[in-house]
Amino acid sequence: MKNILIRIRLLVFACLLTGCDISVLDPQSKTADNQAFLISFSFALMMIVLIIVFLLMTRFVWKYRETEHNKNTIPKDIKGNKKLELTWTILPILLLTVLAVPTIAVTYNQSATTPKATTQDDAIHIDVTAQQFFWTFTYGNGKESTNELVIPENKSIVFHLKSTDVIHSFWIPSLGGKTDVLPEKELVYKIDNPKKGTYDGKCAEFCGVNHTKMRFTARVVSEETYQKWLTK
Amino acid sequence: MNEQAALFKDKQLGFLIYLFVESVMFATLFATYIIFTPAPSSPRPIDVFEAKSVILSSVFLLSSSGTLIFAEKGLNVRESKQNLTGLGITLLLGLIFLGLEIHEFYKYVQEGNGLTVNVFMSAFYVLVGLHAAHVTFGSGWMILLLIQYKTMKQSYQLYTEKQRIFQYYWHFVDVIWVFIIILVYLPYLL
Amino acid sequence: MTIPFFGKSIFVPSDIIAAWILSIVLGAILFIYVMNKRKWPLIWEYMRTTNHRKIGTMYILFGVIFFLRAGTDALLIRLQLAQPHAAFWVFQQEKYNELFTTHGTMMIFFVAMPLLIGLMNVAVPLQIGARDLAFPFLNAVSFWLFLAGAILFNMSFFFNSAPNAGWTGYAPLSTDTFTPSVGNDYFVFSLQVSGLGTIFTAINMIVTIVRHRAPGMRLTRMPLFSWATLITSFLILIAFSVLSMGLYLLMFDRMFGTGFFSGDTGNPVYWQHLFWIFGHPEVYILALPAFGIFSDIISTFSKKRIFGYPAMVLSIILIGFLGFMVWAHHMFTVGLGPMANTFFAITTMLIAVPTGIKVFNWLFTMRGGVVKITTPMLFALGFIPTFVMGGVTGVMLSVAAANFQYHDTHFVVAHFHYTIIGSTILGIFAGIYFWYPKVTGKVLDEKLGKWHFWLFIIGFHLTFLPMHVTGLQGMPRRVYTYQWGDDLFALNLTSTIGAFLMGSSMLFVGWNLYKTHKHGKKVGNDPWDGRTLEWTVQSPSQENTFEPMPIVKEMDPFWYAKVSGEKLRTTNNTRPAPISVNTILPFCIAFSLSIMSLGMIYTWYLLAVLGGASAFLLFIVRSLTDERKAYDLKEGHSNE
Ligand code: HEA
Ligand code: HEA
Ligand code: CUA
Ligand SMILES: [Cu+2]
Repeated sequence: MKNILIRIRLLVFACLLTGCDISVLDPQSKTADNQAFLISFSFALMMIVLIIVFLLMTRFVWKYRETEHNKNTIPKDIKGNKKLELTWTILPILLLTVLAVPTIAVTYNQSATTPKATTQDDAIHIDVTAQQFFWTFTYGNGKESTNELVIPENKSIVFHLKSTDVIHSFWIPSLGGKTDVLPEKELVYKIDNPKKGTYDGKCAEFCGVNHTKMRFTARVVSEETYQKWLTK
Repeated sequence: MNEQAALFKDKQLGFLIYLFVESVMFATLFATYIIFTPAPSSPRPIDVFEAKSVILSSVFLLSSSGTLIFAEKGLNVRESKQNLTGLGITLLLGLIFLGLEIHEFYKYVQEGNGLTVNVFMSAFYVLVGLHAAHVTFGSGWMILLLIQYKTMKQSYQLYTEKQRIFQYYWHFVDVIWVFIIILVYLPYLL
Repeated sequence: MTIPFFGKSIFVPSDIIAAWILSIVLGAILFIYVMNKRKWPLIWEYMRTTNHRKIGTMYILFGVIFFLRAGTDALLIRLQLAQPHAAFWVFQQEKYNELFTTHGTMMIFFVAMPLLIGLMNVAVPLQIGARDLAFPFLNAVSFWLFLAGAILFNMSFFFNSAPNAGWTGYAPLSTDTFTPSVGNDYFVFSLQVSGLGTIFTAINMIVTIVRHRAPGMRLTRMPLFSWATLITSFLILIAFSVLSMGLYLLMFDRMFGTGFFSGDTGNPVYWQHLFWIFGHPEVYILALPAFGIFSDIISTFSKKRIFGYPAMVLSIILIGFLGFMVWAHHMFTVGLGPMANTFFAITTMLIAVPTGIKVFNWLFTMRGGVVKITTPMLFALGFIPTFVMGGVTGVMLSVAAANFQYHDTHFVVAHFHYTIIGSTILGIFAGIYFWYPKVTGKVLDEKLGKWHFWLFIIGFHLTFLPMHVTGLQGMPRRVYTYQWGDDLFALNLTSTIGAFLMGSSMLFVGWNLYKTHKHGKKVGNDPWDGRTLEWTVQSPSQENTFEPMPIVKEMDPFWYAKVSGEKLRTTNNTRPAPISVNTILPFCIAFSLSIMSLGMIYTWYLLAVLGGASAFLLFIVRSLTDERKAYDLKEGHSNE
């Protein structure tokens, strides 16, 4: 049983590594790339933990299982073992420290903020308005589009997110993680250097009857196409 | 005696834990009040609160803790007159406090500051209102105690336990009131 | 289907008609059974009981019934998600929203909680040498409040107004502006009523454990399930109080026009804070008792005392403590800012440390022992890898920036089913198999038990392992369908098949119960070669346990007595036992409160006042007919 579990898990792992079209692990922007790194990195660390636990467990269950031979023996009374116990207190702490460092770095960089905190000038600013159950994107020159987001490649895109009713969540798996869209409070989320392509966007916070259908497409296009599209 | 003492200790501990639960609940409501006050829209707390009514009701409620201690002394030495007057006055003070509270709420509503005008008022009413509900409940409890004392169909020991438990409750409600003064009224009356 | 109703015709969806018909048929069958077998006295006895074992049994019985109900919801969810663009029966859009809301809420509040509390009721007093819970009357009140809340919650569905804002009830969606139907009022009131019961239980457990232990049963010798119960109870005190106030505020928002959680006047995120200050400790409230059960089971079936007992106790306390400092890891995406996000990421990761200590201590308990793989032990062995898999995905989720990707996807769904089913549900199953003899006097059939285990665990992994991938593939939670282009079909179909395997495993439970009841033989006091005090009393445990009272000299006292071939020393000089009575009052109190809640939900305030008044009246009756009165008289403390 345990062996099978390990194998299944490895299979998934292999699948994750090769990508097999899993959108989050096939990042198309710098932002998503950092996140995918964190995912793979933490996954690898966790695999260490899993394997240790599975191995120990298989071994102990097998070696000490009840047999005709030891059925009536009464095992030696062991209360504990300071050294062992210290080991499995300290090693996990070390492991978590290793995980914490990139976590803090990327989190500091990427957490959504309030409008004041962003001061990058060459970024493209887009207002995103979520409403039951569609998305409106407003661009710098006042152009609006519904359920279709168009952005230029290799730029920093700053999204100003706002909802007119309940909480929604703005998510383009290939380009970066989600940020909630709150009523009456603007949040700002930045996506760096998206690559050309067409990606699915979704509302990721349950928002009512047609939450399922609150999807949009995000088209990342070249700079010229973007400018042309803007003035169209 | 020992047996009863042990059973009473159970009850005492249980009730004190219950009061802990209550204090977590009130703490949550205090937090709510602090977060939402002052609200972006009017009225502001200064427009609403009045020092006079707060002081007045505080005098009545806080002194009722004193009269309750007086009653307890009587209970301990089996002075039934002292206990009865103590309890009676406590009840009276509690009821006067309630009357003042109702009057205060009524006045606010008359001035157009009801439950729904803004979040500050809402937070005020759900907090102070819950406290008032506790006082109401306590008053009913006291009446029940008085009846039980008068008829005394149980052992004196058992009655004593009941009144003790009630005392914890009443003092607790008073302490909450002190926090209401400090956190709800004072910052906006000074 | 439209049905004429007093001249109007109202629309009733077919699933609800089916549910009505099904429950009427089942109800009729049950009624005939009870009539024929003359079970009324038995039912009447249980309605009036305050005995911990009987109340525990009722908790477990109803917990299992609600598990079937909520599990049926899960199967319906899986059918709707089996393929892209599916339109299974009526379960799209609003119906689907109701489906996962009831599934989640019922599973957490009316399945996992009562089953754990039921096991606590059965086992804790026996483990520590108490004759009952400290307040038997209050215990009955707790139980009936739970049942009242659960029935109230279920009623909403039968009146076609099930709650539909998710088990988390996020505002402003859950306020009356966006969900005006009474569904979420049912949510508020049923959780309020049953939550009150849970708080009372916690108080009861704490007083019992603090004051009713057998002589010599020091805290440092107490079985780990009792320890877990103690710490869990403290968590409940805080968590459920906060939930209660959150619901109180939500009630004002929904019914009396305040705007605490609305977008324009209040603060929707404040609801999330309140909910998760409750919600995160809640998941440890679910996990810790299960940990306790496994500790006792693993030690029993390894024939060894638990490895590193002090560390085990300490880590329970630590998990409980840290559990209050991590709530915002459910809110990484609401824009709390980088500081808060990192803080909560780190505290969350820290919880892995004490949990890891427990995992390794369990493993090393087996080392050097004699591991006997009975059904309860099998569940414990299934728990370790399953829970660790759920735990490590938890740590992955706590990486805040990565959480932006995971959040609100099926990856999270996978995580929490791995942890909840891995610990709580497996723990409950293990506990039921383990303590079943203490409840009924018979051991459940081992062979069918193993069938149950294997089907369940294989079905489980088949269901939830693929969800890690669908989540990363971009499947949000709480959506009722997806598209062919999303590449999600194969994995979702696998999940659905797995869910049905899990469902079929439950049939073996039914068969097992039937078979054991019919053909099982009575076993003695100690069928598992147990270690702790519960195995010294009769199976099923009688109403006056521990007369005379054992004197405890060490941990696992019964085991060491057996090993050294001595009997446990006993004494007759003990503290007074809690006073049990037979009374219908607790039932009536809970009934009044549900009438009051109904009155509130439908704003028939007269009914609400009536229900409330009757509850107060019953309080007064209770005060005047205190069981202590008769007791005092019997003990000779007359009215001096
Ligand atoms: C029993 C229930 C239970 C338990 C025990 C846990 C345990 C943990 N949970 Fe989980 N969680 C839930 C139930 C539970 N959770 C639920 C219901 C939700 C979703 C609610 C909703 O939104 O509807 C949720 C959601 C949830 C989120 C939010 C996800 C999101 O919505 O975006 C996060 C994020 O950090 C998280 C983290 C953790 C962590 C770190 C643990 C840790 O406690 C796990 C610790 C255990 C281990 C790590 C394994 C054993 C350890 C070792 C073998 C030692 C070595 C290990 C290392 C060094 C890593 N959980
Ligand atoms: C204790 C907690 C618990 C348990 C045990 C389960 C058990 C299961 N859960 Fe659930 N689940 C939650 C707690 C739990 N869940 C929560 C909190 C949510 C979030 C809700 C929200 O988003 O608000 C959730 C959400 C959730 C979803 C996501 C829905 C969505 O976001 O779109 C899914 C999807 O597959 C799912 C599936 C399952 C399955 C297949 C089981 C299986 O393990 C069930 C197995 C049991 C059975 C199959 C019962 C057997 C029944 C029979 C054999 C029929 C007999 C019938 C009669 C006698 C009438 N659950
Ligand atoms: Cu908008 Cu979900
Ligand atoms: Cu959590």
